[in-house]
Amino acid sequence: MNVFKIAWRSIQHRGFGSFLTILSMALGIMMVVSVITIHGVVSKSFKNSRTFGYNVLVGARGGEFQLTMSSVFFLAPPVENVPYEYYLAFADKEKRQLEMRHSLAMVTQSHEQDSLQLAGLVSGSLGSVSGLGHELLAATSEVEQFSAMQFHDKGMFDTWVHTVVPINLGDFWVDEETESNFRCVGTKPTYFTELVLDIETERGFEFSEGRAFEEYNEEHGFYEAVIGAAVAARSGLGVGDTIQPTHGDPNSSGSHLHETDFHIVGIMKPTGTPSDRCLFLNMEGFFLMEGHTKSIKDESVRAIARREREKRELEAEGVVFEKDEATDEKYITPGPARLPIEKREVTSLLIRGELDDDGLDTVGQFLPPLINKGDLKESLAWTPFTPDSSQDAAMGVNPVEVVTKMFASFVDPIQLALLALTLMICVVSSISILVGIYNSMSQRRHEIAVMRALGASRTKVLLIMLSESILLALSAGLIGWIAGHLLNVVMSPIVEQQTGISMGFFDFAPKIPLAFLPLAENLPGWMAAMEVSPELLLIPGLILLAVLVGIYPAISAYRTDVSQSLGK
Amino acid sequence: MLKLENIKKSFTQPDGQEVPILDVPSFEIEAGEQVVLIGPSGCGKTTLLHIISGITKPDSGKVFIDGTELTRYSESTRDRIRADKIGYVFQTFNLLNGFSALENVLLGISFGAKRSTPARAKDLLQKVGLGHRLGNKPHQMSVGEKQRVAVARAVANRPALLLADEPTANIDPQNQQQVVQLIKDTCREEKIAMLMVTHSMEVADQFDRVVRLDELNRVVADLRATAGGDK
Repeated sequence: MNVFKIAWRSIQHRGFGSFLTILSMALGIMMVVSVITIHGVVSKSFKNSRTFGYNVLVGARGGEFQLTMSSVFFLAPPVENVPYEYYLAFADKEKRQLEMRHSLAMVTQSHEQDSLQLAGLVSGSLGSVSGLGHELLAATSEVEQFSAMQFHDKGMFDTWVHTVVPINLGDFWVDEETESNFRCVGTKPTYFTELVLDIETERGFEFSEGRAFEEYNEEHGFYEAVIGAAVAARSGLGVGDTIQPTHGDPNSSGSHLHETDFHIVGIMKPTGTPSDRCLFLNMEGFFLMEGHTKSIKDESVRAIARREREKRELEAEGVVFEKDEATDEKYITPGPARLPIEKREVTSLLIRGELDDDGLDTVGQFLPPLINKGDLKESLAWTPFTPDSSQDAAMGVNPVEVVTKMFASFVDPIQLALLALTLMICVVSSISILVGIYNSMSQRRHEIAVMRALGASRTKVLLIMLSESILLALSAGLIGWIAGHLLNVVMSPIVEQQTGISMGFFDFAPKIPLAFLPLAENLPGWMAAMEVSPELLLIPGLILLAVLVGIYPAISAYRTDVSQSLGK
Repeated sequence: MLKLENIKKSFTQPDGQEVPILDVPSFEIEAGEQVVLIGPSGCGKTTLLHIISGITKPDSGKVFIDGTELTRYSESTRDRIRADKIGYVFQTFNLLNGFSALENVLLGISFGAKRSTPARAKDLLQKVGLGHRLGNKPHQMSVGEKQRVAVARAVANRPALLLADEPTANIDPQNQQQVVQLIKDTCREEKIAMLMVTHSMEVADQFDRVVRLDELNRVVADLRATAGGDK
């Protein structure tokens, strides 16, 4: 029999005592494993910029942490909104032109031009074409300025932008059965078609069932939705189901249910990102829900807005309006009237910059400072848009930088303290091995003497004792490891709620280079470059700990006087 | 097979006084010979066995086992020689409680140069009538069975010499006879020399040769050999 087998039999023989020793150490290891895996998985997920698929975030001026937490991780409440026009500042020309069809200012301008033409034809009359542009008629010079400008082309940021997707937050869907709340994200179909999960591999969103919602659908109108994999798994929602969002945080008193049905048309494949636990609503439908409309100050625009609203109400009652024949077919968007651009606002814009000539993504570095200087507002100053002054302050952040900063200032020190604490627990509980073995030394001395009488050398009994300590530690390590991962599974909903990251049993702590470890400077180069999961380091760590706590009883065994301990 | 030359051993008392307990000018056992050592309590019989087995070093003198001078070697070498050449049966059996009968026997082969073979251990247990109790732990066995396991363990490493320290003292008369017979038969079959310490004249009378330590506990008394073969 080898020393390990002899040691294992000794552990088995001291059944309950060994069990308690292992249990006490396993609890410590469970905590260490749980802390390092949760910390590792969460920080990797937070820090890894590639998982964002964009590198600039534009939102209302406020805390950069709050903007990032709300818009990137869908966790904190959103700050404020910014005008929808800011989205157009980053969108490409074609998208801008299409969107401008829903601008009241542009309609006003168009009516104004019509009126001027009529004024030329019918002397003394302002015409009665629309009766909507009177206020602006007085300012002929301004009108000329409008006609002269090429809104679609000038002063925009789109040359730097690869993709821009607006999102709207603030609504939730409450699953009555599981009493869980899921965040609703109003966005455009481009969230799924143009945004990617991983910039390097261009991995995009995929659907396990159904499709991305359309901006307008013949059957469902503006009211289509797509749900994340975690939402589908936890709520049981599927394609064909309908949901009604709740306005505001369901836990607050001010929330209320929107009586608007959104039809689920797609379920996303798991992405491992916060998107998994969100419901994505078509932004056009999102805008049309009550409470999502911004008030307009401009009187002329308000008049048109009122007409648009009346038109929508009439359409809802079944009245059919004839199409304006003069409208350029290219810019006709299907379906009933949409919310005018002036009345729209978005929570934030997810922007992926174009690579520069060297293939580097520098937009994430230079764009946020430009936006923060106020360039965004200036770029819109000469447009027909007159964003509400309370909402014009936008800020741009690089989410990777924010997350890195957030980790460096808050999370890392806390995690380090927590890790140090759990390691202390582990060391303290490993002393239970020392106590366990040492307390049974009087009984062991006799066994050791018998083995010595049978020919075992002092070194052999020392090795047997150390093996016992190592086996106890490794058994505790195995049990603690399993328990730690089970704890992660149990804690997963809480972790997910707080961080958006769900964890399975086989989610290991991400690998780190050995060079990051203390005393790594003594390692040979090839070994320092090796990347291992910190969980694997538990094995040599436990063996070292076991040797440290087992050495004293082992030396005591080594010194056992056979003649005295053997008896008869 | 076993040869002792001028073995002396004394213990130091707490007051610093040296008390001699063994003085053996000369003693030999031939290969395969079975010898009984008798003497009053405290006369140094167990100490002599410890010196022969290399567990304790004498103050002076030499111990030869199979021609090898045990006393000139370091403790670790003596351990190895003991593991390979000496078997030991104790009065209190000294089976390890966490181990089954089979594992206890295997333990007897685990520390020497010879490879531990479960087949040999099973054979021996079969031979001592415990083939059906291989997996039993000591607490599941009777006193007689335990001592039979101890005998099997002592001969498992095919030793040249078996030392038995009052192997029948803790067992009832019926089992005593069985154990003595078992030791005698096993040693004869395996061609092992044997030195058994006993208080029992009944046991001593069953062997050809009996050695007696005298009452002064210091010297080996005149060797007394009984006539006739094994009884």
